[in-house]
Amino acid sequence: MVESKQQWKAWLYLAPAIILLLVFTVWPIINTVAMAFMEDYSGLASIGGEATFRFGFGNFTRVVQNAEFQQALTNTMILCLITVPVSTLLALLIAVALNAIKPLQKALQTIFFLPYVTNSIAIGMVFAAMFNVIGSVGTRRPLISSYGIVNDLIRMFGGNWVNWINSGSEYWANMFVMIVYIVWNALPFKILILLGGLAGINKQYYEAAKVDSTPRWRVLTRITVPLLSPMLAYVIITGFIAGFKEYTSIVGVFGESMGPVHEAHRLNTMVGLIYDSLASNNQGRASAAALILFMIILVVTLINLRVSKKRVHY
Amino acid sequence: MKIVLQNLTKIFPPRGKNTSGEVVAVNNFNFEIPDGKLIGLLGPSGCGKSTTLYMISGLQKPSSGKIFFGDDDVTELSTENRGIGLVFQNYALYPHLTVKQNILFPLQNLKGKDKLDKNTMLDRAYEAAKLVQIEQLLDRKPSELSGGQQQRVAIARALVKMPRVLLLDEPLSNLDARLRLQTREEIRRIQKETGITTVFVTHDQEEAMSISDLIVVMKSGVVQQIGQPQDVYDDPANLFVAKFLGTPPINVFSGRVSQGMLYIGTDAVMKVAGVADQEVTVGIRPEGFHLDPNGTLCCKPVNVEVMGRDVSIVSTHDASLNPFVRSIINADHRYDIGDSVRYTIKPHKIFLFGKESEERIRIEVNSDGRK
Amino acid sequence: MSQNTMQVMSAQNMRKTSTRQKITRVLSQTGVYAFLGLMAAVVLFPFYWMIISSLKSLAEYRLSPPTFWPTQVLISNYSEAFTTASLGMLFKNTMIVGIVSTLLSLVITIFTAFAFARLEFKGKELLFALLLATMMIPGELFTITNFATVTNLGWRNTYHVLIIPFLVSVFYIYLLRQNFMQIPNELYLAAKVDGTSDLKYLWKVMVPLSLPTLISITILKMMGAWNSYIWPRLVANDEAHRLITNGLRNAFTDTTGDVNYPVQMAAVALVSLPLFLVFVFLRKYIMSGVSRSGIKG
Repeated sequence: MVESKQQWKAWLYLAPAIILLLVFTVWPIINTVAMAFMEDYSGLASIGGEATFRFGFGNFTRVVQNAEFQQALTNTMILCLITVPVSTLLALLIAVALNAIKPLQKALQTIFFLPYVTNSIAIGMVFAAMFNVIGSVGTRRPLISSYGIVNDLIRMFGGNWVNWINSGSEYWANMFVMIVYIVWNALPFKILILLGGLAGINKQYYEAAKVDSTPRWRVLTRITVPLLSPMLAYVIITGFIAGFKEYTSIVGVFGESMGPVHEAHRLNTMVGLIYDSLASNNQGRASAAALILFMIILVVTLINLRVSKKRVHY
Repeated sequence: MKIVLQNLTKIFPPRGKNTSGEVVAVNNFNFEIPDGKLIGLLGPSGCGKSTTLYMISGLQKPSSGKIFFGDDDVTELSTENRGIGLVFQNYALYPHLTVKQNILFPLQNLKGKDKLDKNTMLDRAYEAAKLVQIEQLLDRKPSELSGGQQQRVAIARALVKMPRVLLLDEPLSNLDARLRLQTREEIRRIQKETGITTVFVTHDQEEAMSISDLIVVMKSGVVQQIGQPQDVYDDPANLFVAKFLGTPPINVFSGRVSQGMLYIGTDAVMKVAGVADQEVTVGIRPEGFHLDPNGTLCCKPVNVEVMGRDVSIVSTHDASLNPFVRSIINADHRYDIGDSVRYTIKPHKIFLFGKESEERIRIEVNSDGRK
Repeated sequence: MSQNTMQVMSAQNMRKTSTRQKITRVLSQTGVYAFLGLMAAVVLFPFYWMIISSLKSLAEYRLSPPTFWPTQVLISNYSEAFTTASLGMLFKNTMIVGIVSTLLSLVITIFTAFAFARLEFKGKELLFALLLATMMIPGELFTITNFATVTNLGWRNTYHVLIIPFLVSVFYIYLLRQNFMQIPNELYLAAKVDGTSDLKYLWKVMVPLSLPTLISITILKMMGAWNSYIWPRLVANDEAHRLITNGLRNAFTDTTGDVNYPVQMAAVALVSLPLFLVFVFLRKYIMSGVSRSGIKG
């Protein structure tokens, strides 16, 4: 409405943000993409001496052929493909249940949001403590002084204890611990979003369903889920993005070795790999790995959007 | 402070991608607003009345033309230096500030030699609040006020810096019917007390007519007529003005003048002196009908609406350009619907307009003061 | 006659169904509460375990089956944790970084959001779209080059390396711009009429009216500093500048085996405590910020 004659004034307000963005966002995009295609280039080495590199896909091929990368990709994929559906389903059930009750609703809602406000390293250490076995675990006749609370609970119900995270533990036992922790950590955000979505659904649909004496499960699958589909799509997409960037939760449970004592790096993820390359001063490979991660996230997001466009009901 | 608008024109550039058609919001507006008067800018939405108001305020710059406050050319002056008070349609009170803080806000902006000390500011704020009779509400937040009270606060905020000109944008449109009557009297009273030249914008003709010293009727950016409310009502310059003013609206017929006689359909309604033979559009105010068994205009009655003091007879006529002909008759005697109703027409309540031009065609007035 | 009987029958039937419905309702309601109760227990358990473990003696911690409440409450674990991890230093560093970066970030965010919400300039829409597009790119991609940049600038192991690269958050700008846009334009015009400068209008009207969003941003930003791990580990992992999360991880490198869990849990509890306090007192701001974001801390 007001006709401003002073364009420069707007740019003055924008200046701090733009300068910082140019240095720490725009330049990195250009540089990282360029570095990914520069073979044998180290960002740090190039300051003093002359740079020696040539352009090519070398970084990409070397990253992809690397066994550690393949392991990291597999780990990341497994974590995503299991934790996202499990946490979404659990969050949906909890949100619907919360929405169906009156007394205690607020209190329970608060409890379910609690894991959000945590430090993933710190709570990872708590999970480690819960699954940890104290004693000589790896030997043939283990001498155990404490099985850890999780194993104690299993034994209480007559099950056999499992070596979850200690030396000699199985890959899937490690994965199981990570899945439990990641799902636990992912629930609050999903519940919050889905509960918000449920609050937005017009009560009349449910009253109409009641008049037609629709059974509960049918109300859930035929009314709630379709009407909630935009929110579900949202939590699934953000869940996948977060899943592909999983790193600190594993550091929390297993430490920076990213695996049990006898097999470090077994649980490394894509992000972990990028930082490993960076720490070993291999910027080119880190860049290539980061670009691959970006492409994967992009593709998964696009697939998700395509699917949800068909499935999202309005 | 008189306000002079000289060839004021506002052209908006074409919007968006379809470059066709810039919009002429205000076209060559010339008017001298006399000092200390209350002026109503009246017209349907999109007629350019708000744009005119915003140009006077300085929030929008005219494409061409000049604006004078008194003898000062303020065309290039920015809003804050014009010394105006502006009341917005939705009041634009700062929701997080109390009434007092809202009224103080403009004073706190004064700089340099205009800067006031705290007590003077409070005195002035209190004075303004007293003028609009909200002094007991000073510590409330806008959300705790009714629409009418918010309106008063907005006026107080506009008045507190003692503006040279007060501008009101649709001041009554957000109020309910009862408050509207009350508030318009308030505005009139405040304007009279302060003597500030006041311009307000409205699409409601009743509102404009009831309190304005002068009304300006606008359509599509062009001024149609300027005058005292009663004059404009009694003597509309064209069909648009005639139709826009008056509730219920004027009845419109297609008619024909032949040898000094006005025909509506087949009815020879009355003699019209000095009008050449032509097709015309005829406007008759609802109060311009007189029940008369020997009347010249014959309509088919449909319904009688009782309004207390008056009755309104709804009827049809073949030449009517509206679906119904509505007449307002004194309710002194009862009226029963028959097959037809006959009227004579009060000569000063009938207007002729060119069929194409829609401009007024004047009927010569006889020596006895009648048309 | 027969019609009458039928009506009576159906009335009886209806009464029966209504009791049955009442029973199923009660049953299903119980089921819902049981499910929620179980899930709540699972969610709370790690916190419970953290707290009771942090109060046990090492000997008691090693007991199998475990005790579910410490037989002897040992507060000394906390003092030991505090010194072992030099939490005081870490706490101070984190607060410095958190407060400074939050304040600067707020100023930049407010200015930028204001320009995008209220001012007119060429290329506004395009610039804003580009800004939003950068949100799609994973942060790791920036980190690689930023690591080189700050190294070349000689910023390693300083406070500002922890602050400056993250001052601009496109998401916060977006959030605040949306909030600013909801403020009616008339308020801006009214302020103009009164001769209010843009800066004063921003400070006196827009900022107070957007306070909830600004509080949300503040909390999320502070939590971000508290929980940040990757970047500080890369660029400022020296004693003098180490942040709390890195300090915690560094002090207790072993997570498995026969480590002194009670002390470790005490340290974890101390690190978690400020987050809990923020959660307890400012929950609604976190929730409203988070529900619009999808980002963690």
